[in-house]
Amino acid sequence: MTNKIIMGQFTETDSVLHRLDPRTKLLSLLVIMLSFLLLKSFASYLAATVLVGMLLRMSGIRLGWFARGLKPLLLVLIFTFLYHVLLTGDTVIWSWSFIKLTEEGLTKGTINVWRIILLVLIASVLTATTKPLVLAQGLEKLLKPLSRAGFPTETYSLMIGIAIRFIPTIIQEMDRIILAQQARGYDIRSIPGFKRVFAYIPILVPLFATTIQRAEQLSYAIDARAFGTGKGRTSYRQLEFKRSDLVAALFTVIFVLMMLLIRIYG
Amino acid sequence: MAYELKQVSVSLAGREVLRDISCTLQEGKWISIIGPTGAGKSTFAKVIKGLIPAYKGEYTLHRQPLPGDSKGRMKAVREIGYVFQYPEQQIFETTVYKELTFGPKMLGHSRGRIEEALEPVLRQVGLPAEILSASPLVLSGGQKRRVAIASVLITDPKLLILDEPTAGLDPLSRQALLQMLREWQQANHRTVLFISHQMEDVAEYSDEVMVFHEGQLLGHSDPGTLFMKNTEILRRAGLPLPEPVQLLRLVEELSGRTIEVDSCRERDIFDKVRLVWEARGLHHDE
Amino acid sequence: MLIFDQVHYYYRKGQPLLASVSFEIQEGEFVAIVGGNGSGKSTLARLMNGLLQPREGEVRLGHLSTRNTDDLIKIREQVGLVFQSPDDQFITTSVLDEVVFGLENLRVPREEMSVRVKQALRAVQMEDYAEAMPHKLSGGQKQRTAIASILAMRPRILVFDEATSMLDPQGRSQVLSVMHELHRQGMTIIHITHHMDEVLEAERVLLLNGGAIAFDGTPPELFRTGTLADHPLDQPFAVRLQHALGLNTGLKADWKEMIRTQWPTS
Repeated sequence: MTNKIIMGQFTETDSVLHRLDPRTKLLSLLVIMLSFLLLKSFASYLAATVLVGMLLRMSGIRLGWFARGLKPLLLVLIFTFLYHVLLTGDTVIWSWSFIKLTEEGLTKGTINVWRIILLVLIASVLTATTKPLVLAQGLEKLLKPLSRAGFPTETYSLMIGIAIRFIPTIIQEMDRIILAQQARGYDIRSIPGFKRVFAYIPILVPLFATTIQRAEQLSYAIDARAFGTGKGRTSYRQLEFKRSDLVAALFTVIFVLMMLLIRIYG
Repeated sequence: MAYELKQVSVSLAGREVLRDISCTLQEGKWISIIGPTGAGKSTFAKVIKGLIPAYKGEYTLHRQPLPGDSKGRMKAVREIGYVFQYPEQQIFETTVYKELTFGPKMLGHSRGRIEEALEPVLRQVGLPAEILSASPLVLSGGQKRRVAIASVLITDPKLLILDEPTAGLDPLSRQALLQMLREWQQANHRTVLFISHQMEDVAEYSDEVMVFHEGQLLGHSDPGTLFMKNTEILRRAGLPLPEPVQLLRLVEELSGRTIEVDSCRERDIFDKVRLVWEARGLHHDE
Repeated sequence: MLIFDQVHYYYRKGQPLLASVSFEIQEGEFVAIVGGNGSGKSTLARLMNGLLQPREGEVRLGHLSTRNTDDLIKIREQVGLVFQSPDDQFITTSVLDEVVFGLENLRVPREEMSVRVKQALRAVQMEDYAEAMPHKLSGGQKQRTAIASILAMRPRILVFDEATSMLDPQGRSQVLSVMHELHRQGMTIIHITHHMDEVLEAERVLLLNGGAIAFDGTPPELFRTGTLADHPLDQPFAVRLQHALGLNTGLKADWKEMIRTQWPTS
């Protein structure tokens, strides 16, 4: 379980992507994700796939690691696929009683699944190459203009940082509860299919209870170290744009232009 | 009737955490498991309990080989109770009653049998009957721990695994808990596997002691042999002697003679040391 | 220096957690605070640096009062708190960020931060782990990081709230040796514990029972007077040994030393 969820997990390798400024990564990711809305023709999908493939390579992380991260999404992917395949389109290729398989459905299903995979992969590239706290710091800096309008950016970025920091801890906790139930003869993993989704609900109850206790402890720890004086904070890790950030930004712009052109002329 | 492992090895995430373990756990014994953090103590306990799906080697339960598949392992799961570290963190039901009855229900005990078992088990762990309707969330830390232990005892396990059950408790609660578990074990002729870092508790309560180090079983003997005769094993595992035994060694050094004691319990050693001390003192007076 | 003046505390009226607690702790003292589970020890710790406010009475540090919001930030800078659970006080995602967190809140300039971080990590022997992530550390290492993160804030008093109770013997002795080394260098230490052998090493001990101070004196006095008999606390090994041998004086934390010096010679 613990190893399966990779969203939000940082990996300790070093690569060009690891060294980029978090602001560059956040903005580029946002722009690229938006450009995926333009995906339509085969050429555009090819371009997007090549881009994601390149980013995966550049991250210096094994492809298998990303593949493992897709596994928990399998159910969603299958559902999306079946939804399109069975319920859309007119050109029937194969049918059995009320089940009809259509050509349009097949293409649409494949394309939509592919789009989700691309989006998830590109998001995990960001979290895998950026330390949560650095990510939060980048976000804080990006949102800085808002703080003049009275928006508590420091608190929000700390919140995001903590959320990411606690993902592994909460997963460990969940594993412990599952084990405790298993030890008393109840094996959640032996429950088939959709029923298992509901079987997770009783686990969430104690999980919330311990998480609330944790949160209380943590709030003391944060207060005890003089957070939230209202006078602002200094920051140890300095963010600075380097040449590589410029290159990445240019690259993003070019990619988005390319997507636009493909959309218009393709 | 016993639990037997033959050349069992376990690898987790590509690392061998247990190597070539062979042992027999006799029924009716308090068996302590000691070793530094990361020595494989909890993994060993999980193999015995049947919680680890893949291992090499053989596991025989009461002379019958236990198949490694999940169905086979459930057999071990059913007759073995497991109290995890900080058990109070694993309470998952909304009332004490539901928490206590969860295990027996899963084992298919009849409603009547479960209801009958409730009162004695509460008495055993020293909780009032009114607590049954309470939500675990409102209980104190000590009460939660007793509820968690009761929820395992109520399944009437033949073998009870205790993974550092006293961690974080104040000294008297710790003594009371161990005393209670020892009484339960002896009165019902049950087997206990007791994982502990506290050498003094191990010396006080055990019939047998198993020493783990880097995934290997370095030794398995009675506490007297381990702590007083064959102390080389303890040294290799990097574990300290219990304080009473350290005292005995010091007194032997000071008096320049060996002292024969057949128990490593604190009271027995104190008695012996007092005799030596008083003999010295008398001699001095003359 | 740290003064509790007639402090009362309760969550719900009629169920006092602390009642009329008064004491003063001097600069450079090593004070152990003991009591059974639920005797009010943790509440006491949280009152010490203003995480909780007394319902009645006052907690003062020199001329500063935790009641005064303007003083609070200074008090939190000067009274550092190490909590019980190694997991629930780790706010950030690396050892370095953890140590820096408090400094950023105190608006320490960047150059000074790196000096303080180095010193603090050296003091707890964690300088090789600056970039390590919390879930990869042992309990003892986590607690030492927590100590470093507070040391960096240059406190005058360190309060350990059962900081050794969830550690294995190895982690416990690491934390204890850091504690004693800091005391040798002049730090005021308040150590809340229920390990009675740790109490013998303190200069002064406060016994808490049902929310009131039941004893305030030196450890040998505590064990000699038999005050402990009414509390869920046992005697340390050295004291049990002393009783068994019928010795009346010369109680020492190091019982081997005690036996050696009092061994009857002929």
